[in-house]
This record gives sequence, C-alpha cells and structure tokens, in this order.
Amino acid sequence: MKMVCEALKEKFGNTIRELEGGTEKQCHVLIPRDAILKTVGFLTGLLPMRLVFLFASDTRKENKAFTLSYVFSHTQQDSFIILEARIPENDPVFPSVTPFLPQANWQEREIQDLFGLVAGNLPDPRSLVFHEDWPRGHFPFKKDFQSQQKIPRVSGQYIFERVEGEGIFEIPVGPVHAGIIEPGHFRFSSAGESIVKLEIRHFYTHKGTEKAGEGKSPSHLLCLAERISGDNSFSHAAACAQALETLADIQVPERAQFLRVIFLELERLHNHMSDIAGISLDAAFSFGASQLMRLKESLLRINERLAGTRLLRNVIALGGVRKDISGVQKQRFLEEIQKIKTDFDSIIQILWQVDSLVDRIEGTGQVKKEVAETLGGVGPVARASGVDQDLRRDHPYAAYKELFFMVPVFKEGDVESRMKVKIQEVYESFKLIYDALHTMPEGPLCSEARPILPLKSALGYVESPRGECFHWIATDREGKITRWKIHSPSFVNWPLIQYAVLENIVPDFPLINKSFNLSYAGNDR
Amino acid sequence: MISIFFACAKVLFLMALAPLLSWFIKKMKAISQNRVGPSPVQVYTDLWKLFHKDMVISEAASWIFHAMPFVLFASVLSAASLTPVSGAVSLFGFTGDVIVFVYLLALGRFFLTLAALDTGTTFGGMGSSREMTLSSLAEPALLLSFFSLSFRTQSLSLDGIVSYFSWQSPIQILFFTSLAFGALLIVTIAESGRIPMDNPATHLELTMIHEAMILEYSGRYLALIEWSHQIKQIIFLTLLANLFFPWNFSGMSGFAAFGVGIGLYLLKIFFLAFVIGWIEIHSAKLRLFRAPDLLAVAFVLAVLSLLGQLIIGRGV
Repeated sequence: MKMVCEALKEKFGNTIRELEGGTEKQCHVLIPRDAILKTVGFLTGLLPMRLVFLFASDTRKENKAFTLSYVFSHTQQDSFIILEARIPENDPVFPSVTPFLPQANWQEREIQDLFGLVAGNLPDPRSLVFHEDWPRGHFPFKKDFQSQQKIPRVSGQYIFERVEGEGIFEIPVGPVHAGIIEPGHFRFSSAGESIVKLEIRHFYTHKGTEKAGEGKSPSHLLCLAERISGDNSFSHAAACAQALETLADIQVPERAQFLRVIFLELERLHNHMSDIAGISLDAAFSFGASQLMRLKESLLRINERLAGTRLLRNVIALGGVRKDISGVQKQRFLEEIQKIKTDFDSIIQILWQVDSLVDRIEGTGQVKKEVAETLGGVGPVARASGVDQDLRRDHPYAAYKELFFMVPVFKEGDVESRMKVKIQEVYESFKLIYDALHTMPEGPLCSEARPILPLKSALGYVESPRGECFHWIATDREGKITRWKIHSPSFVNWPLIQYAVLENIVPDFPLINKSFNLSYAGNDR
Repeated sequence: MISIFFACAKVLFLMALAPLLSWFIKKMKAISQNRVGPSPVQVYTDLWKLFHKDMVISEAASWIFHAMPFVLFASVLSAASLTPVSGAVSLFGFTGDVIVFVYLLALGRFFLTLAALDTGTTFGGMGSSREMTLSSLAEPALLLSFFSLSFRTQSLSLDGIVSYFSWQSPIQILFFTSLAFGALLIVTIAESGRIPMDNPATHLELTMIHEAMILEYSGRYLALIEWSHQIKQIIFLTLLANLFFPWNFSGMSGFAAFGVGIGLYLLKIFFLAFVIGWIEIHSAKLRLFRAPDLLAVAFVLAVLSLLGQLIIGRGV
C-alpha cells in the first residue's frame, strides 16, 4: 500500500500526503480538492484499484471543512486506500466522478441531499434521499442541524425520466405493494408488455440511522447496526464490530473469529434458502418454494437454539461473540445441518427437473458483465455476471483466511445464474460451517473491552449474503463516534435492476426483482 | 314440468358444487406443500363473508363497473343451464347451443375486461389486454373442438353430442374425441385461470391476468365475480367429463339411475380436478409470451380433430 501512496506522490507532487491514524491495511491519503478527478481517474484507470464507495462527513470542528472520502480496494492485495479531500464550507462544491465512474451516481446525489455539498457536473442532480415534500436548505447530516425540530413539509413535484413515442405508457408500481414488503416506487415505461425503461425511486424509509449513531457508545452502535436490515443483522453487526475493534485496537480471540464465521455462514444459508424459494414462488412453482421455506425455518430454529434469537441478534459483542457452541450442541448442530443439506440436495434436483421453471429463469433479466462492473455491482448478483470478487477471499476477515472455500462465478448474468450462484454458495456455506466447527480452537470468547481511540477512523467489512457491506466509523477528539457510514450492498445493486429488466416483459419483473432480492431498509437506512 | 324442475335443480347443483371444486384443488396444493390446507367449509364461508362486507368503489366508476358482476354471473349461469350434467335435459338445450355457449362466456368476458378498464387503474388495463390476447386464441380452439364433435354427431347441441357418444363404444369415443379432449383441456386451464396460464394465488400485480382485472372489486361484487369464476371452472370440467367420458346416460331408469348418474358425475369431475391440480403442482407458470404457444397447441389439436373427422367421414 505504501507503493500506491508513493506512486500518487510521485505523480501529483507534494500536495498529497499520508494521514496519521491508518492501519496496515487501511491507508489514508489527503488530496487537494482540485486533484480529486485526476487521482481517482489514476487509481481506477491505471492501478489495479476499484472504487468501493464514497461519502462525506462534517468535520468542520476538526478541520474547518467538510471531508469527502473515497474508499478504494486493491484488487490484487488485501488493502484499502482512502482518499480524503477537504471541501470548505464557503465554497461547498466538489467535482463529480460520475461521468467516468457511473457507480458514484447515487452516492454523490446522497451527499448533495444530506450535507448540502454540491457535485459539479453531476449528470443527474435530482434529489435522491429526500422526496418533493422535503424543503430545500435543510441538510440533516450537518452537525449544526437540530434533529428535534419539526421540518415543515412543502409541495413539489418529482420529474421522472420520460420515454416518449407511440404506444409507450407508464406503469407506476408502489410505494405500497401487495404482500408484506417494504416501500419503494418503480416506474416502468413499456411498449406493450416489453419494458423500455425502469426508474426506481426509494428512500421512503430513510431513518437517518447513520446520524442516530453519532455520539453513541460502541455497544449501542452494535445494537443499531443489527437493526439496519433485518435478515442481514449479523453481517451489519459484524462489519460494525470490526470497525470498532480496529478503532479500539482490540484483538478478537481466535475461537470468536471462527464462531463469527459460523454465524455469518448461517445467516447466508437462511438468506439464500429464502431467495431461491422466492424465485420458485414467483415463477408459481409453489412446491419448491414451500420446501425451501421449510428448510429456512429449520435454520432459523437452529439459530434460535444456538444464539437465542432467530435472526442472530445480540450474538456479536465488541471484541468477540457472546454465544459459544458447546460440544453437545455441536453434535446436534452437525446432524441437523447434514439433514438440511440432504433435503436441500433433493429439492434442488427436483427444481432443475421442472422444465417450465427452468424455461422461466433462463435468459431472464440479464445483467451484462460490463454493466455490473461499471455500476460497481456486488455480491451474488455481480458474481452471476462474471465479476469475480468476494471480500471473504479478497480481503479476508474473521477466520476466513484459515478456511478453504470456492467462490462460484457464472457468466450469463440471468436469473438462472443468480440462482446457481446462490445454490453453490449454500453448499460452500455448509462446508465452511463444517470445517469451522472442526478446526475451531478452544479459548476465550471475548477480549476485554477497551475504549475507542480519539481522532481515528476505520473500516469494517463483511461479505453479507447480498454482497459487500462496509461500515466506516470515525471518532472525534473525545473519542466519541462522530461519523458512521453504512455502505450496504443493496444501495449498490438497486440501480442494476434498472438495466436487468430492459428487453424483458413486465410480468417477468417480479421474478427478476426476486433474483436480486435487495433490501429496502438496507438501502434507505 | 318435472324436466324444467330438474334442469333448474341442475344449475343450482352446479352453483353449490363449484366452490367445493376450488377447495379440492386448493387442498391438493396445500398437501403438496406440507400444509394442512383449508376445510371444505372455508370456501363457502369466504363467499358468505364477501357477500356481507361493505364495498369500496372508486369514484371514477361508471355503470359498467356496477353492471359487470351481474352480467358476468348471469352469463355464466346461462352457460351452466346449457351444460349437460347428468341424465336430465338442459334447461335451454336446443340446436345450436354450442355457439351460444361460447358467446355467452365471451359476453361475460367482454364486460369483465371493460369494467377493468373502467376505473382507469394500471393493473386493470394490463389485465384486460392480457385476457383479450389469450382469450382471442382460446376461443377459436374451443369452438373448433366443439365443431369437430358436432361434425361427428351431426348436432350443434351439447345435449345432442353427449347423447350420441353415450351410445358409442369406448374405443370409438377415444378414437374420435381424444384430440378434441386435449384442446378442451388446455382451454379449460386457460379459462379457469390456472397455472401454467395464470396464477390464482399470486399477490404480484404485474404478473396477474384474471386477478388484475378484479383488483378494484370488493364485497358483494367480488363475491359474485369469484363465484362466477368458480362456476365457470365447474362448467368446463363438466363438459370435459360428459363430452369425453359420457358413460352414464344409458341403462337404468328412475332414482337408481339418478343416483348412479350423480355419483359417476362427481367421480369424473373430481378426477378431472385432480388432473388440473396435478398439472398445477408440477409446473411453473409459463412466461406470458409462451402462453399463446400452449393455446396454439390447443388450436392445432382442434383443427386436427376436425380434419380427422372430415377425412374419416361419418360412415365409420
């Protein structure tokens, strides 16, 4: 990572300097505002670096300016580089990287809404997080925003991108849907049954979770993290805990590392089971759906027995885990996992034998590799389109370094590939759980808690069932949490659906959507 | 006089039995999914509940919206009165009732699609357009398969067709009607909105056909629509049962014959419902643009059946 810093310095001169407070794997570099475009272009274009996400923080108290951070991951080494640029309050403009990195689109629009910074040259400057009833000039993520005040609602109009032509009509769907799901609006422009354009409008459940985390104690923050996205509770909590542990310089005991792997994989198992069930259900093959939901239920019951909660809440603690798997539990756990695996095997075999189901999923909702890469797609969705990336392997955390597993990658990018990726990952998860249980060393569950250090920032990350999930935490002079950034996989993958549905027909949308199965809560935060 | 009484009783019988048949398929699906499933009373109490609920009606609704449930129900009941059930003659049986039968159903469908457009909601319009696309393919297949049977029996009345075949040997029936049976089975699946054509259990508006059209309905109107849909389903199953397995119209007389007739009839329609349920359990829903292919198969079967009768001629 030092090499990357040196390369940057050599290229752009002494205006660039390394900041204190980084770790071996996370290097912080300060760049001037004018150099943002050049350095970002240099890192993504010429070096094997990938822009993971970008965000702003209100650091006016510490640095007399806002800070913009660009997080890059090295695609060949286990390291991250974080570029930081200061944006002065009296001239709150920063250059948009969206024109050459379209994946930044939603993120830059979010920064505009929450911080009042202006992205110059942003192709689509409409507001994203706030809807038309939110008055202009109120930026809740600024430190001087009074969160108790009542914001008067105003009237306004949101302009959807229009497709015009003969026979084109718009289908508005949501934000209230049939069935028990979260709110989100989908605007289709279709010619007959084929979809010409889809525009997604979310953030109906924006709760300001990140803001709510500011000033909270680490254990309180973990509680909040568990509630970001219900079915990914453990992933979010684990990512948050890792960031906090880096901040407090806590070493997690080895047994806890292995237990974290087991719980993370248990979470992946029940998520993937329900995703595959959902695909089967939306294709109206209810046999497969109900059988897989049955397996999901057995997994949730295992969770309940091992952890006390069905969705693995309250398991993770700062510095380790709270729940152990004892020898007696282990035997029963292994037997049950084996039984679920056998059942899963036979259900999947049946699924592939149902021609009408295979016909529905084959070639439906294709995401091309270029689209997935350009929009920074993550997780099973990206892997189904041929993007070979998985944090567990590329940037190992917990005990993944000591375990062997495959990362399934398929090329076609259709619903079938996404289903195949998830099926393969289920098998890998079974294997990981089995191996982790057997190689897990004896030892303590949790390190002693230590206070988090002041004026530091750290990144925690987990490959959640939906893809890579990042938590960024920064502390102020008193060692209080001053910025908590949650980068959830759903936020990245929602825009991909807009491309996946093109050239498909309207009645296939639910199936395509289900094969992504993204979280609204994780997206809106 | 007594025959009119019997014919009326027959229609009432179909009305009463229709929900039970829906229950049977629901129960089958439930068992396939390791669920307990509803009790037979449930389907009736559901209708009862809907009949006693208040209605929420869109302000944009015109008279078509209000008239549709009644037109649909009446048209389906009229079609039921043309359907030969067991022994007794149909209430309105006359020469040419095959064509009336098909267009009575079309009348109901016409109002159904119109009413779906009436309130101006997106899903209603989508449902209407899909329903019309599919039924414009199902209707010719239905008519042609009737015609092929009519050609054989020299009768355009459903009663006539049934009574002709009930005197034939099973081999002959199998020989002359199997193609038409295939066509009619596919049309039955399409008309009763079952998988693989449509999914009656889905909550996904974007994929709906029949359900999308009735999303705006509630209370009494919805009850009428649901009930007509169930009656339509039983009519088609009855037709399949009696046109292609017609062996209960011969022999005995009096109450014994009546009892045996009803028993056999029940056995046949529940067997056919089992077939429909079996297909539903074992397949996913077709992609919307593949559904016309299946209906095209029905059409081809019907044409082949008609051609077959033409080539072989009546003398055999």
